[in-house]
Amino acid sequence: MATRIAVDERAPVKARYGPIDWMGGWKTCVWGSLAIVVLTALHWWYTSRFAWTAGIDASSPEFTKYFRSLVWVQLIVIGAGTGLWWGWLVRTGRQLLAVKVTPDEEVRRIAVFWGLISMTSITLYVMASFWPNQDGSWHQTAIRDTALTPAHIPMFYWWFPGGITMTVGTYLYGRYRLPKVYGPDKGFPWSFFFLIAASVTEMMQVAFNEWAHSLWILEEIFAAPFHWPFVTYGWLASGIFALWAETIIRLLGIEKEVEDAAAASPAR
Amino acid sequence: MARTAQEAAQLGALLNKKYRYFDYKWDLVFWVTALPVVAAAADITKLLFAGDWDFWTDWKDRQWWMTITPFAMIIIPSALQYIQWLAWKFPTGCTYTAVGLWLVSWLGRWLQWDVFVNYPLNFVWPATIVPAAIFTDWILLKTRSFIMTSILGGLAFTIGFWVANYITLAPFLQPVDLMGSIVTLADVQGVSYLRSATPEYLRMIEHGTLRSFLEETTLVALVFGATLCTFGYWVGQAIARWLAIWPIMRFMKKV
Repeated sequence: MATRIAVDERAPVKARYGPIDWMGGWKTCVWGSLAIVVLTALHWWYTSRFAWTAGIDASSPEFTKYFRSLVWVQLIVIGAGTGLWWGWLVRTGRQLLAVKVTPDEEVRRIAVFWGLISMTSITLYVMASFWPNQDGSWHQTAIRDTALTPAHIPMFYWWFPGGITMTVGTYLYGRYRLPKVYGPDKGFPWSFFFLIAASVTEMMQVAFNEWAHSLWILEEIFAAPFHWPFVTYGWLASGIFALWAETIIRLLGIEKEVEDAAAASPAR
Repeated sequence: MARTAQEAAQLGALLNKKYRYFDYKWDLVFWVTALPVVAAAADITKLLFAGDWDFWTDWKDRQWWMTITPFAMIIIPSALQYIQWLAWKFPTGCTYTAVGLWLVSWLGRWLQWDVFVNYPLNFVWPATIVPAAIFTDWILLKTRSFIMTSILGGLAFTIGFWVANYITLAPFLQPVDLMGSIVTLADVQGVSYLRSATPEYLRMIEHGTLRSFLEETTLVALVFGATLCTFGYWVGQAIARWLAIWPIMRFMKKV
């Protein structure tokens, strides 16, 4: 019941801001994207501040205090946060599926969906470009590292799983909030299959990467062949373009429906 | 081809059509928010196919750098060129990607290589593909053919890559005397800064007899690099066609 009330109470928000106002439908895009940028900056500052003073020796008390604790905080927060967000999307979404929405509300949801795509896009940048650069510089100045070193800890235990959180969460939003595009009756979209596969296979490749380093080569030659799967898996993220196309097609459909409705009732 | 009056009227009506929900924000959000994932794809492709040659001044050689790097760096620009041409007939995909790659490369080198571990930026500067990408987009604009762009654009991309980056690289190729040996300034950087995870680099670069081509060395490497670049262009086209465009409105059947 509480969930249903929360869903129904979203209506007054629409009255204040329109579906395509920056603080209306685009609010998720603006604030969500900004939040990820700020989180990245904080993460980078923390690693830079403590990596060389507390992050060198994994057996030291300083490492436990500053980095092993960070691993646990990250895993707990992203694990719990992901479970709560996905659970909320599914629980409220199942009820929303039965509710007929106005064109304004559907457009607002498409704008929110684009906001989630924006957050996914930035997350994929942070996990696939920003942190690998730190990983490279760390390898070149410290010796070969392990699965638990300052450069790996933010990347492997926050941003890589964060990619899965965002891609699956965006799908769940589309499945229940945009049923005319991604509703359960349509089957599973190939666009999301590729995008989610990119984030999941990247996460799985991390394990192979560490295993292969331990077997074949201790040095960090970036162009080594066993790094190449990271690239090919990353290409699967191209499915993100299909998300923009699929929702813009629906947006055109809504425009047409509104035009037709206006033409059918000229007295209005 | 001249438009008929009817076509002109239709076009005018389309341009002046008032929409209820479409405004500039959709375009703005798309072009801005697509850039991080595009740049990330371009950067990870470059880093893990040719990153070692891009990280260091002394690795920017005539044997591998100019052959492997253009191949790695044209893949995602080619994909975006296909997408933007298909969607808007904009010959801008390569340049769009190149600008994004330029931004994230410099952000990475500055924060992660310079500030974090104190390598000087004049040792770890990234190569640019912005001029090469403009050439390649211009070739698509003029030829309106992906096949022609792959051949001529691959060549232009590789030559543009070399010319644009040689301007930055040239000062580091000046000869200097180091402990009785004549080496380049880039070599001095290479032996002066600690790189604990890059051993044996002298064994990996400049082996074989490429130097026996003397003044044709660069030309031979460039033309071979262009061949690889043409192949890389089609890798990018495959990514765009099968992973970005093909999935649109396609669903797996329910089991």
